[in-house]
Amino acid sequence: MHWQLVIEDRVSDSYGLAADETMARRVGHSESNPTLRLYTYRNYSALVGRFQNTENELHLDFCRENDVAINRRPTGGGAIIMGEEQLGIALTIPGRSEDTYGRARELMERFAAAVTNGLCAFGISSSFRHKNDLEVNGRKIAGLGIHRDVSGGLLFHASLLVDMNISLMLKVLNTPFEKISDKEIRTVADRIETIRHFTGRQFSVAEVREEMSKAFARTYDVTLHRDAFTAEEVADIARLETEKYQTANWIHQLVSVPDTVGSAKVKTPGGDRKSVV
Amino acid sequence: MIVDSTMENTIDIQKDYKFPTDRRYDAEHHMWAKHINGGVLVGIDSLGLESMGDLAYVVVLPAGSKVKRGQSFGSMEAAKMTGDLYSPVSGTILTVNNEVVSKPSNVNNDNYGQGWLTLIAPDDWQSESSSLIADAQLPAWIEAETERYRRQGWVR
Repeated sequence: MHWQLVIEDRVSDSYGLAADETMARRVGHSESNPTLRLYTYRNYSALVGRFQNTENELHLDFCRENDVAINRRPTGGGAIIMGEEQLGIALTIPGRSEDTYGRARELMERFAAAVTNGLCAFGISSSFRHKNDLEVNGRKIAGLGIHRDVSGGLLFHASLLVDMNISLMLKVLNTPFEKISDKEIRTVADRIETIRHFTGRQFSVAEVREEMSKAFARTYDVTLHRDAFTAEEVADIARLETEKYQTANWIHQLVSVPDTVGSAKVKTPGGDRKSVV
Repeated sequence: MIVDSTMENTIDIQKDYKFPTDRRYDAEHHMWAKHINGGVLVGIDSLGLESMGDLAYVVVLPAGSKVKRGQSFGSMEAAKMTGDLYSPVSGTILTVNNEVVSKPSNVNNDNYGQGWLTLIAPDDWQSESSSLIADAQLPAWIEAETERYRRQGWVR
């Protein structure tokens, strides 16, 4: 079986997201071949999950003042930062051909296995944990998600941390921290892992991408043909970008489900106490 | 109270996949439609729900919105994925079940009763309802769909 391999770097937030969704739709309609896309966003994009509220999840003023793009993913989960040192892995496959199905969870596990196999090339042993995370010794190194398009096409997406500017991350994401000192940075650093931190080596994104493409070919037993998007695909992506991912209606969409995060602060003789739920 | 959730007659091929016989089913998207006074109640059937997993978020177009059969009237985030919700009938949305929007787990707990999603004033119920699965067609369809979903991996 042949899949298309698309490599892109420093894409905009709206283009990156529109391309993922467009390819899921086109592959679902059999208008495009199954596609593995290994790409990076330009520095930086803050991407909330499908149903999160941007105001709750992000420091919007900081983002605006520092040219951090804001957008909403088609996949679920929490807010993330994507840039030139985080590899986006988007696999789009048809959802109606029986031989491409496993159980939904197993499909996700297979996708996770491909990423795990790619990490092995760097001596990193990771495992699929919780809802949709890949972890290394209890630290998150990648977040995963599935989107099922109206066409039946499936988008599997991973954001893989080659490296991460944690100080910036804390300024962009709305975290429980009141201030951002070395202590807070260490606290977050203890919860996430990156390829460069784990290995102590400055692997490039290109090297990681090369190993990931090999790992996906092995895991799915496919041949990858590197290609650029066709003119039709480019036109469809541009259309979705304009109609959806560049609109405030989509980016700042509000949902009625109560916030999952709330906090209260109380001054006590022993100092400020803050509770976050 | 809009929903009559009494379901004395259900077809129960697998104990987890109930299909009440008092309503009709969209064969492609696994939504149910129940004609009541003043409109058509819409929800997700048991197989559709099982394929999604526990719902975390549901968004439905507001009252007054026009919807078309087979097209999206909302979207959801569930344990297994995000995706759209597809209307089994064309018409105008009369009421949104805001209790489900604010507490999506109601759908998982009672998808044929309190977990209804929206009430639609149908454009042409008589014509479109004939395209939905009901009555004598149900047993064979449920059996085939259960097998298909199992084979394709969406349910166990």
